[in-house]
Amino acid sequence: MPTSAVFTGLDWHPVHDARELVAYPFMQHALAAGTIVAVTAGVVGWFMVLRRQSFAGHTLSLTAFTGASAAGLAGVPVIAGYYLACGAGAVALAAASGSRRSLSRESAATGSVQALALALGFLFISLYHGLLSDLDSLLFGTFLGVTRDQVLVLLLVAAPTLALVAVAARPLLYASVDPDVAGAAGIRVRLLGLGFLLVLGISVAETAQITGALLVFALLVTPAAAAHRITARPVAGVAVSVALALAVTWTGLALAYFSVYPVGFWITSVAFAVYVVARAAT
Amino acid sequence: MHALAALLAAGQIHVVAAENMWGSLAAQLGGSRVRVTSVVASPAADPHDYEPTAVDARGFATAQLLIVNGDGYDAWASKLIAANPVSGRIVLTVGDLVGARTGGNPHLWYSPANVRTVAAAITRAYAKLDPTSTPYFRALASRFRTNALAQYDHLIAAIRRRFGGAPVGASESIFAPLARTLGLRLLTPPSFLQAISEGSEPTAGDITTIDRQIARREIDVWVYNAQNSTPDVARLTSRARADRIPVVTITETLAPANATFEQWQVRQLKALELALARR
Repeated sequence: MPTSAVFTGLDWHPVHDARELVAYPFMQHALAAGTIVAVTAGVVGWFMVLRRQSFAGHTLSLTAFTGASAAGLAGVPVIAGYYLACGAGAVALAAASGSRRSLSRESAATGSVQALALALGFLFISLYHGLLSDLDSLLFGTFLGVTRDQVLVLLLVAAPTLALVAVAARPLLYASVDPDVAGAAGIRVRLLGLGFLLVLGISVAETAQITGALLVFALLVTPAAAAHRITARPVAGVAVSVALALAVTWTGLALAYFSVYPVGFWITSVAFAVYVVARAAT
Repeated sequence: MHALAALLAAGQIHVVAAENMWGSLAAQLGGSRVRVTSVVASPAADPHDYEPTAVDARGFATAQLLIVNGDGYDAWASKLIAANPVSGRIVLTVGDLVGARTGGNPHLWYSPANVRTVAAAITRAYAKLDPTSTPYFRALASRFRTNALAQYDHLIAAIRRRFGGAPVGASESIFAPLARTLGLRLLTPPSFLQAISEGSEPTAGDITTIDRQIARREIDVWVYNAQNSTPDVARLTSRARADRIPVVTITETLAPANATFEQWQVRQLKALELALARR
Protein backbone atom coordinates (compact mmCIF):
# COMPACT_ATOMS: atom_id res chain seq x y z
CA MET A 1 0.00 0.00 0.00
CA PRO A 2 1.47 3.42 -0.90
CA THR A 3 2.29 5.60 2.08
CA SER A 4 -0.09 8.33 0.92
CA ALA A 5 -3.02 5.94 1.41
CA VAL A 6 -1.94 4.99 4.96
CA PHE A 7 -0.84 8.42 6.14
CA THR A 8 -3.44 11.10 5.56
CA GLY A 9 -2.96 14.65 6.76
CA LEU A 10 0.80 14.31 7.19
CA ASP A 11 2.74 17.24 5.72
CA TRP A 12 6.18 15.63 6.23
CA HIS A 13 7.18 18.92 7.85
CA PRO A 14 8.20 18.28 11.52
CA VAL A 15 7.18 21.63 13.03
CA HIS A 16 3.92 21.89 11.13
CA ASP A 17 3.01 18.27 11.85
CA ALA A 18 3.81 18.62 15.56
CA ARG A 19 1.60 21.72 15.77
CA GLU A 20 -1.18 19.89 13.95
CA LEU A 21 -0.87 17.05 16.48
CA VAL A 22 -1.89 19.26 19.41
CA ALA A 23 -4.32 21.51 17.52
CA TYR A 24 -7.55 19.75 18.55
CA PRO A 25 -8.97 19.02 22.02
CA PHE A 26 -9.43 15.28 21.36
CA MET A 27 -5.71 14.93 20.59
CA GLN A 28 -4.63 17.03 23.60
CA HIS A 29 -6.75 14.73 25.80
CA ALA A 30 -5.34 11.61 24.13
CA LEU A 31 -1.71 12.74 24.59
CA ALA A 32 -2.31 13.69 28.25
CA ALA A 33 -4.06 10.36 28.93
CA GLY A 34 -1.33 8.46 27.06
CA THR A 35 1.39 10.15 29.13
CA ILE A 36 -0.27 9.26 32.45
CA VAL A 37 -0.86 5.69 31.31
CA ALA A 38 2.69 5.27 30.00
CA VAL A 39 4.32 6.45 33.26
CA THR A 40 2.09 4.15 35.35
CA ALA A 41 2.59 1.16 33.05
CA GLY A 42 6.34 1.77 32.82
CA VAL A 43 6.81 1.74 36.62
CA VAL A 44 4.35 -1.01 37.54
CA GLY A 45 5.32 -3.10 34.50
CA TRP A 46 8.96 -3.09 35.59
CA PHE A 47 8.02 -4.66 38.95
CA MET A 48 5.60 -7.06 37.25
CA VAL A 49 8.33 -8.41 34.97
CA LEU A 50 10.74 -8.61 37.93
CA ARG A 51 8.16 -10.61 39.92
CA ARG A 52 7.36 -12.83 36.88
CA GLN A 53 3.69 -11.97 37.21
CA SER A 54 3.03 -11.31 33.53
CA PHE A 55 0.40 -14.04 33.52
CA ALA A 56 -1.40 -12.34 36.42
CA GLY A 57 -1.22 -9.06 34.47
CA HIS A 58 -2.65 -10.78 31.41
CA THR A 59 -5.49 -12.18 33.50
CA LEU A 60 -6.24 -8.75 34.94
CA SER A 61 -6.36 -7.29 31.42
CA LEU A 62 -9.04 -9.82 30.48
CA THR A 63 -10.84 -8.86 33.71
CA ALA A 64 -10.84 -5.30 32.37
CA PHE A 65 -12.90 -6.58 29.42
CA THR A 66 -15.30 -8.27 31.85
CA GLY A 67 -15.64 -5.02 33.79
CA ALA A 68 -16.30 -2.98 30.67
CA SER A 69 -19.00 -5.36 29.44
CA ALA A 70 -20.58 -5.51 32.91
CA ALA A 71 -20.61 -1.72 33.02
CA GLY A 72 -22.32 -1.63 29.62
CA LEU A 73 -24.98 -4.03 30.89
CA ALA A 74 -25.50 -2.12 34.16
CA GLY A 75 -25.58 1.23 32.38
CA VAL A 76 -22.71 2.72 34.40
CA PRO A 77 -19.61 4.37 32.84
CA VAL A 78 -17.22 1.87 31.26
CA ILE A 79 -14.32 3.42 33.20
CA ALA A 80 -15.93 2.51 36.55
CA GLY A 81 -16.22 -1.05 35.24
CA TYR A 82 -12.51 -1.16 34.43
CA TYR A 83 -11.41 -0.08 37.92
CA LEU A 84 -13.93 -2.20 39.87
CA ALA A 85 -13.33 -5.37 37.87
CA CYS A 86 -9.54 -5.08 37.93
CA GLY A 87 -9.62 -4.44 41.69
CA ALA A 88 -11.89 -7.44 42.22
CA GLY A 89 -9.71 -9.50 39.86
CA ALA A 90 -6.60 -8.65 41.90
CA VAL A 91 -8.27 -9.79 45.12
CA ALA A 92 -9.50 -12.97 43.41
CA LEU A 93 -5.98 -13.72 42.13
CA ALA A 94 -4.46 -13.14 45.55
CA ALA A 95 -7.05 -15.41 47.17
CA ALA A 96 -6.74 -18.11 44.49
CA SER A 97 -2.97 -18.30 44.42
CA GLY A 98 -2.42 -18.13 48.18
CA SER A 99 1.25 -18.41 48.97
CA ARG A 100 3.58 -17.47 46.12
CA ARG A 101 5.82 -20.40 46.94
CA SER A 102 4.58 -22.63 44.14
CA LEU A 103 4.70 -20.97 40.71
CA SER A 104 2.93 -23.85 38.99
CA ARG A 105 0.04 -23.80 41.45
CA GLU A 106 -0.19 -20.03 41.13
CA SER A 107 -0.35 -20.10 37.34
CA ALA A 108 -3.01 -22.83 37.40
CA ALA A 109 -5.13 -20.76 39.79
CA THR A 110 -4.55 -17.62 37.69
CA GLY A 111 -5.58 -19.49 34.54
CA SER A 112 -8.82 -20.58 36.20
CA VAL A 113 -9.64 -17.00 37.21
CA GLN A 114 -8.84 -15.87 33.65
CA ALA A 115 -11.22 -18.36 32.03
CA LEU A 116 -14.01 -17.35 34.42
CA ALA A 117 -13.41 -13.65 33.74
CA LEU A 118 -13.64 -14.15 29.97
CA ALA A 119 -16.76 -16.30 30.29
CA LEU A 120 -18.47 -13.66 32.45
CA GLY A 121 -17.49 -10.94 29.98
CA PHE A 122 -19.05 -12.92 27.16
CA LEU A 123 -22.19 -13.50 29.24
CA PHE A 124 -22.59 -9.77 29.90
CA ILE A 125 -22.09 -8.98 26.20
CA SER A 126 -24.79 -11.45 25.17
CA LEU A 127 -27.19 -10.19 27.87
CA TYR A 128 -26.63 -6.59 26.80
CA HIS A 129 -29.51 -5.54 24.56
CA GLY A 130 -28.34 -2.54 22.71
CA LEU A 131 -25.98 -1.70 19.93
CA LEU A 132 -22.54 -2.97 20.85
CA SER A 133 -20.61 -0.82 18.44
CA ASP A 134 -17.82 -0.33 20.96
CA LEU A 135 -16.65 -3.93 21.22
CA ASP A 136 -13.64 -3.32 18.98
CA SER A 137 -12.44 -0.35 20.99
CA LEU A 138 -13.00 -2.23 24.29
CA LEU A 139 -10.70 -4.98 23.06
CA PHE A 140 -8.21 -3.14 20.85
CA GLY A 141 -8.18 0.43 22.06
CA THR A 142 -9.26 3.89 21.00
CA PHE A 143 -7.85 7.37 21.44
CA LEU A 144 -10.52 9.46 19.76
CA GLY A 145 -13.10 9.69 22.54
CA VAL A 146 -10.98 10.71 25.55
CA THR A 147 -12.70 13.49 27.53
CA ARG A 148 -11.18 16.02 29.93
CA ASP A 149 -12.91 14.29 32.86
CA GLN A 150 -11.37 10.97 31.84
CA VAL A 151 -7.88 12.53 31.90
CA LEU A 152 -8.58 13.90 35.40
CA VAL A 153 -9.73 10.49 36.66
CA LEU A 154 -6.64 8.84 35.17
CA LEU A 155 -4.45 11.37 36.95
CA LEU A 156 -6.30 11.16 40.29
CA VAL A 157 -5.91 7.37 40.27
CA ALA A 158 -2.35 7.24 38.94
CA ALA A 159 -0.84 9.75 41.40
CA PRO A 160 -1.61 7.86 44.66
CA THR A 161 -0.87 4.51 42.97
CA LEU A 162 2.62 5.65 41.96
CA ALA A 163 3.16 7.27 45.38
CA LEU A 164 2.31 3.94 47.00
CA VAL A 165 4.82 2.12 44.79
CA ALA A 166 7.47 4.73 45.61
CA VAL A 167 6.93 4.35 49.35
CA ALA A 168 6.98 0.54 49.19
CA ALA A 169 9.68 0.30 46.49
CA ARG A 170 12.54 -0.95 48.67
CA PRO A 171 10.69 -3.74 50.57
CA LEU A 172 8.82 -4.66 47.36
CA LEU A 173 12.15 -5.05 45.57
CA TYR A 174 13.53 -7.35 48.31
CA ALA A 175 10.30 -9.36 48.50
CA SER A 176 10.30 -9.76 44.72
CA VAL A 177 13.94 -10.82 44.34
CA ASP A 178 14.10 -13.20 47.32
CA PRO A 179 10.85 -13.64 49.27
CA ASP A 180 12.41 -16.07 51.82
CA VAL A 181 15.21 -13.73 52.89
CA ALA A 182 12.83 -10.76 52.86
CA GLY A 183 10.36 -12.67 55.05
CA ALA A 184 13.12 -13.61 57.48
CA ALA A 185 14.13 -9.94 57.63
CA GLY A 186 10.63 -9.05 58.85
CA ILE A 187 9.11 -7.84 55.57
CA ARG A 188 5.43 -8.80 55.22
CA VAL A 189 5.78 -10.58 51.89
CA ARG A 190 2.16 -11.73 51.49
CA LEU A 191 0.72 -8.31 52.28
CA LEU A 192 3.11 -6.75 49.76
CA GLY A 193 2.04 -9.39 47.23
CA LEU A 194 -1.64 -8.51 47.63
CA GLY A 195 -0.83 -4.79 47.55
CA PHE A 196 1.15 -5.20 44.35
CA LEU A 197 -1.65 -7.17 42.67
CA LEU A 198 -4.05 -4.30 43.49
CA VAL A 199 -1.59 -1.76 42.07
CA LEU A 200 -1.21 -3.99 38.99
CA GLY A 201 -5.01 -4.17 38.63
CA ILE A 202 -5.32 -0.39 38.77
CA SER A 203 -2.53 0.02 36.21
CA VAL A 204 -4.23 -2.44 33.87
CA ALA A 205 -7.53 -0.55 34.27
CA GLU A 206 -5.76 2.69 33.33
CA THR A 207 -3.83 1.24 30.39
CA ALA A 208 -6.88 -0.57 28.96
CA GLN A 209 -8.60 2.80 28.44
CA ILE A 210 -6.12 3.60 25.66
CA THR A 211 -4.87 0.24 24.37
CA GLY A 212 -8.03 -1.82 24.92
CA ALA A 213 -8.15 -4.92 27.12
CA LEU A 214 -6.26 -7.24 24.77
CA LEU A 215 -3.33 -4.92 24.02
CA VAL A 216 -2.55 -3.75 27.58
CA PHE A 217 0.70 -5.71 27.40
CA ALA A 218 2.11 -3.45 24.70
CA LEU A 219 2.68 -0.86 27.45
CA LEU A 220 2.80 -3.01 30.57
CA VAL A 221 5.22 -5.76 29.51
CA THR A 222 7.16 -4.80 26.40
CA PRO A 223 8.90 -1.57 27.59
CA ALA A 224 9.59 -3.17 31.00
CA ALA A 225 11.00 -6.33 29.42
CA ALA A 226 13.26 -4.24 27.19
CA ALA A 227 14.38 -2.20 30.23
CA HIS A 228 15.29 -5.38 32.12
CA ARG A 229 17.48 -6.42 29.20
CA ILE A 230 19.18 -3.03 29.03
CA THR A 231 20.04 -2.67 32.75
CA ALA A 232 19.69 -4.71 35.94
CA ARG A 233 19.96 -1.67 38.21
CA PRO A 234 16.52 -0.91 39.71
CA VAL A 235 16.36 2.89 39.53
CA ALA A 236 17.87 3.04 36.04
CA GLY A 237 15.67 0.14 34.96
CA VAL A 238 12.44 1.85 36.05
CA ALA A 239 13.59 5.07 34.36
CA VAL A 240 14.33 3.26 31.08
CA SER A 241 11.01 1.41 31.29
CA VAL A 242 9.08 4.69 31.72
CA ALA A 243 11.05 6.40 28.95
CA LEU A 244 10.38 3.55 26.53
CA ALA A 245 6.67 3.42 27.45
CA LEU A 246 6.41 7.18 26.85
CA ALA A 247 8.23 6.95 23.52
CA VAL A 248 6.03 4.05 22.42
CA THR A 249 2.81 5.83 23.43
CA TRP A 250 3.63 9.18 21.85
CA THR A 251 4.90 7.59 18.64
CA GLY A 252 1.87 5.28 18.51
CA LEU A 253 -0.59 8.15 19.03
CA ALA A 254 1.11 10.33 16.41
CA LEU A 255 1.14 7.49 13.86
CA ALA A 256 -2.53 6.74 14.61
CA TYR A 257 -3.45 10.41 14.23
CA PHE A 258 -1.90 10.75 10.80
CA SER A 259 -2.79 7.30 9.47
CA VAL A 260 -5.83 5.19 8.78
CA TYR A 261 -4.63 2.31 11.00
CA PRO A 262 -5.97 2.00 14.59
CA VAL A 263 -4.00 3.15 17.63
CA GLY A 264 -3.81 -0.33 19.21
CA PHE A 265 -1.93 -1.61 16.18
CA TRP A 266 0.57 1.26 16.20
CA ILE A 267 1.34 1.22 19.93
CA THR A 268 1.80 -2.55 19.90
CA SER A 269 3.98 -2.52 16.76
CA VAL A 270 6.23 0.28 18.04
CA ALA A 271 6.57 -1.51 21.39
CA PHE A 272 7.47 -4.72 19.63
CA ALA A 273 10.09 -2.96 17.52
CA VAL A 274 11.61 -1.45 20.70
CA TYR A 275 11.76 -4.90 22.29
CA VAL A 276 13.41 -6.46 19.22
CA VAL A 277 16.03 -3.70 19.15
CA ALA A 278 16.69 -4.10 22.89
CA ARG A 279 17.11 -7.86 22.48
CA ALA A 280 19.42 -7.51 19.51
CA ALA A 281 21.54 -4.83 21.18
CA THR A 282 22.01 -6.54 24.56
CA MET B 1 -6.48 22.75 7.75
CA HIS B 2 -5.78 24.85 4.67
CA ALA B 3 -8.98 23.74 3.01
CA LEU B 4 -10.91 24.51 6.18
CA ALA B 5 -9.41 27.98 6.45
CA ALA B 6 -10.46 28.63 2.87
CA LEU B 7 -14.01 27.55 3.65
CA LEU B 8 -14.23 29.72 6.74
CA ALA B 9 -12.96 32.64 4.71
CA ALA B 10 -15.73 32.04 2.19
CA GLY B 11 -18.22 32.35 5.07
CA GLN B 12 -19.72 28.90 4.66
CA ILE B 13 -21.11 27.06 7.68
CA HIS B 14 -19.09 23.89 8.29
CA VAL B 15 -21.53 21.02 8.91
CA VAL B 16 -20.59 17.47 9.87
CA ALA B 17 -23.32 14.80 9.75
CA ALA B 18 -22.65 11.43 11.39
CA GLU B 19 -24.62 9.66 8.61
CA ASN B 20 -25.10 10.72 5.00
CA MET B 21 -28.92 10.63 4.95
CA TRP B 22 -28.91 13.47 7.48
CA GLY B 23 -26.02 15.03 5.55
CA SER B 24 -28.16 15.04 2.39
CA LEU B 25 -30.88 17.04 4.16
CA ALA B 26 -28.27 19.45 5.53
CA ALA B 27 -26.75 20.00 2.08
CA GLN B 28 -30.10 20.65 0.39
CA LEU B 29 -31.28 22.99 3.14
CA GLY B 30 -28.04 24.98 3.23
CA GLY B 31 -27.26 25.31 -0.47
CA SER B 32 -24.19 27.40 -1.25
CA ARG B 33 -24.01 28.83 2.29
CA VAL B 34 -22.88 25.52 3.86
CA ARG B 35 -20.21 22.88 3.42
CA VAL B 36 -21.40 19.42 4.54
CA THR B 37 -19.25 16.40 5.38
CA SER B 38 -20.89 13.05 6.12
CA VAL B 39 -18.97 10.48 8.15
CA VAL B 40 -20.85 7.21 7.54
CA ALA B 41 -21.32 7.16 3.78
CA SER B 42 -20.48 3.68 2.48
CA PRO B 43 -23.50 1.63 1.36
CA ALA B 44 -21.28 -1.48 1.60
CA ALA B 45 -20.60 -1.31 5.36
CA ASP B 46 -22.89 -1.76 8.37
CA PRO B 47 -23.25 1.65 10.09
CA HIS B 48 -23.99 -0.08 13.42
CA ASP B 49 -20.33 -1.19 13.53
CA TYR B 50 -18.70 2.06 12.43
CA GLU B 51 -15.33 2.93 14.01
CA PRO B 52 -14.36 6.60 13.69
CA THR B 53 -10.96 7.74 12.35
CA ALA B 54 -8.74 10.67 13.27
CA VAL B 55 -10.06 12.48 10.19
CA ASP B 56 -13.62 12.18 11.57
CA ALA B 57 -12.44 13.49 14.97
CA ARG B 58 -10.85 16.50 13.26
CA GLY B 59 -14.18 17.19 11.53
CA PHE B 60 -16.04 17.00 14.86
CA ALA B 61 -13.50 19.38 16.42
CA THR B 62 -14.01 22.04 13.74
CA ALA B 63 -17.69 21.81 12.73
CA GLN B 64 -20.12 24.62 13.60
CA LEU B 65 -23.14 22.32 13.22
CA LEU B 66 -23.05 18.63 14.13
CA ILE B 67 -25.95 16.35 13.16
CA VAL B 68 -25.97 12.95 14.84
CA ASN B 69 -28.69 10.32 14.90
CA GLY B 70 -28.38 9.40 18.58
CA ASP B 71 -30.45 6.66 20.26
CA GLY B 72 -27.41 4.35 20.42
CA TYR B 73 -27.05 4.24 16.61
CA ASP B 74 -23.84 6.29 16.61
CA ALA B 75 -22.40 6.08 20.13
CA TRP B 76 -19.00 6.87 18.62
CA ALA B 77 -20.33 10.31 17.62
CA SER B 78 -21.40 11.18 21.18
CA LYS B 79 -17.89 10.25 22.33
CA LEU B 80 -16.25 12.49 19.73
CA ILE B 81 -18.56 15.34 20.79
CA ALA B 82 -17.61 14.86 24.46
CA ALA B 83 -13.90 14.71 23.61
CA ASN B 84 -14.09 17.93 21.57
CA PRO B 85 -15.80 20.70 23.52
CA VAL B 86 -16.29 23.71 21.23
CA SER B 87 -18.14 26.83 22.31
CA GLY B 88 -20.80 28.23 20.02
CA ARG B 89 -21.20 24.96 18.14
CA ILE B 90 -24.72 23.58 17.62
CA VAL B 91 -25.30 19.85 18.10
CA LEU B 92 -28.50 18.40 16.62
CA THR B 93 -29.24 14.96 18.08
CA VAL B 94 -32.15 13.56 16.08
CA GLY B 95 -33.17 11.06 18.78
CA ASP B 96 -33.58 13.86 21.32
CA LEU B 97 -35.30 16.08 18.77
CA VAL B 98 -38.04 13.62 17.82
CA GLY B 99 -38.36 12.26 21.36
CA ALA B 100 -37.41 8.65 20.65
CA ARG B 101 -36.84 6.68 23.81
CA THR B 102 -33.34 5.27 24.35
CA GLY B 103 -33.05 1.67 23.24
CA GLY B 104 -35.99 2.04 20.86
CA ASN B 105 -35.77 1.74 17.10
CA PRO B 106 -32.89 4.04 16.10
CA HIS B 107 -33.72 4.11 12.35
CA LEU B 108 -35.36 7.51 12.74
CA TRP B 109 -35.02 8.60 9.09
CA TYR B 110 -37.45 5.87 7.99
CA SER B 111 -40.30 7.98 9.37
CA PRO B 112 -41.49 10.88 7.13
CA ALA B 113 -42.65 12.88 10.18
CA ASN B 114 -39.14 12.70 11.68
CA VAL B 115 -37.60 13.84 8.38
CA ARG B 116 -39.73 17.00 8.44
CA THR B 117 -38.96 17.70 12.09
CA VAL B 118 -35.21 17.36 11.46
CA ALA B 119 -35.36 19.51 8.31
CA ALA B 120 -37.06 22.30 10.29
CA ALA B 121 -34.45 22.03 13.08
CA ILE B 122 -31.59 22.24 10.55
CA THR B 123 -33.07 25.41 9.03
CA ARG B 124 -33.41 26.95 12.53
CA ALA B 125 -29.76 26.07 13.30
CA TYR B 126 -28.60 27.65 10.02
CA ALA B 127 -30.53 30.85 10.78
CA LYS B 128 -28.84 31.03 14.18
CA LEU B 129 -25.33 30.47 12.75
CA ASP B 130 -25.75 32.82 9.78
CA PRO B 131 -28.64 35.21 10.55
CA THR B 132 -28.12 37.40 7.47
CA SER B 133 -28.84 34.42 5.18
CA THR B 134 -32.13 33.56 6.93
CA PRO B 135 -34.35 34.44 3.90
CA TYR B 136 -32.18 32.21 1.69
CA PHE B 137 -32.48 29.30 4.16
CA ARG B 138 -36.27 29.82 4.41
CA ALA B 139 -36.59 29.66 0.62
CA LEU B 140 -34.56 26.44 0.49
CA ALA B 141 -36.64 24.94 3.31
CA SER B 142 -39.86 25.66 1.52
CA ARG B 143 -38.49 24.28 -1.76
CA PHE B 144 -37.34 21.12 0.04
CA ARG B 145 -40.76 20.54 1.65
CA THR B 146 -42.88 21.19 -1.41
CA ASN B 147 -40.67 20.18 -4.36
CA ALA B 148 -37.98 17.76 -3.22
CA LEU B 149 -40.25 15.67 -1.00
CA ALA B 150 -43.25 15.80 -3.38
CA GLN B 151 -42.75 12.41 -5.05
CA TYR B 152 -41.73 10.81 -1.74
CA ASP B 153 -44.93 12.03 -0.07
CA HIS B 154 -47.02 11.07 -3.09
CA LEU B 155 -45.66 7.49 -3.19
CA ILE B 156 -46.22 7.00 0.53
CA ALA B 157 -49.83 8.15 0.23
CA ALA B 158 -50.37 5.98 -2.87
CA ILE B 159 -48.98 2.80 -1.28
CA ARG B 160 -51.00 3.43 1.85
CA ARG B 161 -54.19 3.87 -0.16
CA ARG B 162 -53.66 0.89 -2.46
CA PHE B 163 -51.97 -1.65 -0.21
CA GLY B 164 -52.86 -0.60 3.34
CA GLY B 165 -53.28 -3.67 5.56
CA ALA B 166 -51.12 -5.91 3.32
CA PRO B 167 -49.02 -8.44 5.32
CA VAL B 168 -45.24 -8.07 4.92
CA GLY B 169 -42.02 -9.45 6.42
CA ALA B 170 -38.70 -7.69 7.04
CA SER B 171 -35.14 -8.64 7.94
CA GLU B 172 -34.52 -5.79 10.38
CA SER B 173 -36.25 -3.17 12.52
CA ILE B 174 -35.20 -0.48 10.01
CA PHE B 175 -38.40 -1.11 8.02
CA ALA B 176 -40.75 -0.90 11.04
CA PRO B 177 -41.31 2.90 11.07
CA LEU B 178 -41.98 2.99 7.31
CA ALA B 179 -44.31 -0.03 7.51
CA ARG B 180 -46.32 1.83 10.16
CA THR B 181 -46.53 4.96 7.99
CA LEU B 182 -47.55 2.89 4.95
CA GLY B 183 -50.23 1.05 6.93
CA LEU B 184 -48.63 -2.34 6.16
CA ARG B 185 -48.93 -5.23 8.63
CA LEU B 186 -45.36 -6.22 9.59
CA LEU B 187 -45.74 -9.86 10.65
CA THR B 188 -42.08 -10.60 11.47
CA PRO B 189 -41.61 -11.02 15.26
CA PRO B 190 -40.34 -7.69 16.73
CA SER B 191 -37.76 -9.58 18.81
CA PHE B 192 -36.18 -10.87 15.57
CA LEU B 193 -36.14 -7.39 13.99
CA GLN B 194 -34.46 -6.01 17.09
CA ALA B 195 -31.91 -8.85 17.44
CA ILE B 196 -30.67 -8.37 13.85
CA SER B 197 -30.49 -4.59 14.33
CA GLU B 198 -28.48 -4.94 17.54
CA GLY B 199 -26.22 -7.68 16.25
CA SER B 200 -27.39 -10.26 18.78
CA GLU B 201 -28.44 -13.83 18.12
CA PRO B 202 -32.10 -14.27 17.00
CA THR B 203 -34.04 -17.04 18.76
CA ALA B 204 -34.79 -20.35 17.06
CA GLY B 205 -38.51 -19.80 17.73
CA ASP B 206 -38.52 -16.52 15.80
CA ILE B 207 -36.70 -18.07 12.84
CA THR B 208 -39.19 -20.95 12.77
CA THR B 209 -42.06 -18.43 12.75
CA ILE B 210 -40.54 -16.54 9.79
CA ASP B 211 -39.84 -19.79 7.92
CA ARG B 212 -43.48 -20.75 8.36
CA GLN B 213 -44.70 -17.32 7.24
CA ILE B 214 -42.64 -17.71 4.05
CA ALA B 215 -43.61 -21.34 3.42
CA ARG B 216 -47.33 -20.63 3.88
CA ARG B 217 -47.02 -17.39 1.92
CA GLU B 218 -48.49 -15.43 4.77
CA ILE B 219 -46.48 -12.38 3.69
CA ASP B 220 -46.84 -10.53 0.37
CA VAL B 221 -43.33 -9.04 0.33
CA TRP B 222 -40.02 -9.68 2.13
CA VAL B 223 -38.09 -6.45 2.82
CA TYR B 224 -34.36 -7.09 3.15
CA ASN B 225 -31.78 -4.69 4.63
CA ALA B 226 -28.68 -5.25 2.49
CA GLN B 227 -26.45 -3.33 4.89
CA ASN B 228 -27.05 -5.63 7.85
CA SER B 229 -27.11 -9.17 6.55
CA THR B 230 -26.34 -12.12 8.83
CA PRO B 231 -26.26 -15.78 7.72
CA ASP B 232 -29.81 -16.15 9.11
CA VAL B 233 -31.04 -13.13 7.14
CA ALA B 234 -29.32 -14.34 3.96
CA ARG B 235 -30.93 -17.78 4.31
CA LEU B 236 -34.43 -16.37 4.94
CA THR B 237 -34.04 -13.99 2.00
CA SER B 238 -33.07 -16.73 -0.44
CA ARG B 239 -35.87 -18.89 0.98
CA ALA B 240 -38.33 -16.08 0.21
CA ARG B 241 -36.94 -15.78 -3.33
CA ALA B 242 -37.19 -19.55 -3.82
CA ASP B 243 -40.83 -19.48 -2.69
CA ARG B 244 -41.49 -16.60 -5.13
CA ILE B 245 -42.20 -14.01 -2.52
CA PRO B 246 -41.06 -10.66 -3.97
CA VAL B 247 -37.92 -9.39 -2.21
CA VAL B 248 -37.37 -5.62 -1.84
CA THR B 249 -33.85 -4.52 -0.93
CA ILE B 250 -33.42 -1.42 1.23
CA THR B 251 -30.33 0.11 2.84
CA GLU B 252 -29.41 2.00 6.02
CA THR B 253 -27.57 4.85 4.30
CA LEU B 254 -27.83 6.49 0.87
CA ALA B 255 -27.45 4.06 -2.04
CA PRO B 256 -25.70 4.99 -4.24
CA ALA B 257 -23.74 7.15 -1.82
CA ASN B 258 -24.11 10.23 -4.04
CA ALA B 259 -27.93 10.05 -4.26
CA THR B 260 -30.06 12.58 -2.37
CA PHE B 261 -32.23 11.39 0.51
CA GLU B 262 -35.43 11.65 -1.57
CA GLN B 263 -33.97 10.03 -4.73
CA TRP B 264 -32.90 7.06 -2.62
CA GLN B 265 -36.18 6.75 -0.73
CA VAL B 266 -38.28 7.18 -3.88
CA ARG B 267 -36.37 4.39 -5.66
CA GLN B 268 -36.96 2.07 -2.69
CA LEU B 269 -40.64 3.02 -2.42
CA LYS B 270 -41.18 2.39 -6.14
CA ALA B 271 -39.59 -1.06 -5.81
CA LEU B 272 -41.87 -1.76 -2.84
CA GLU B 273 -44.94 -0.59 -4.76
CA LEU B 274 -44.08 -2.86 -7.70
CA ALA B 275 -43.48 -5.82 -5.40
CA LEU B 276 -46.77 -5.30 -3.56
CA ALA B 277 -48.60 -5.07 -6.92
CA ARG B 278 -47.21 -8.49 -7.95
CA ARG B 279 -49.12 -10.28 -5.23
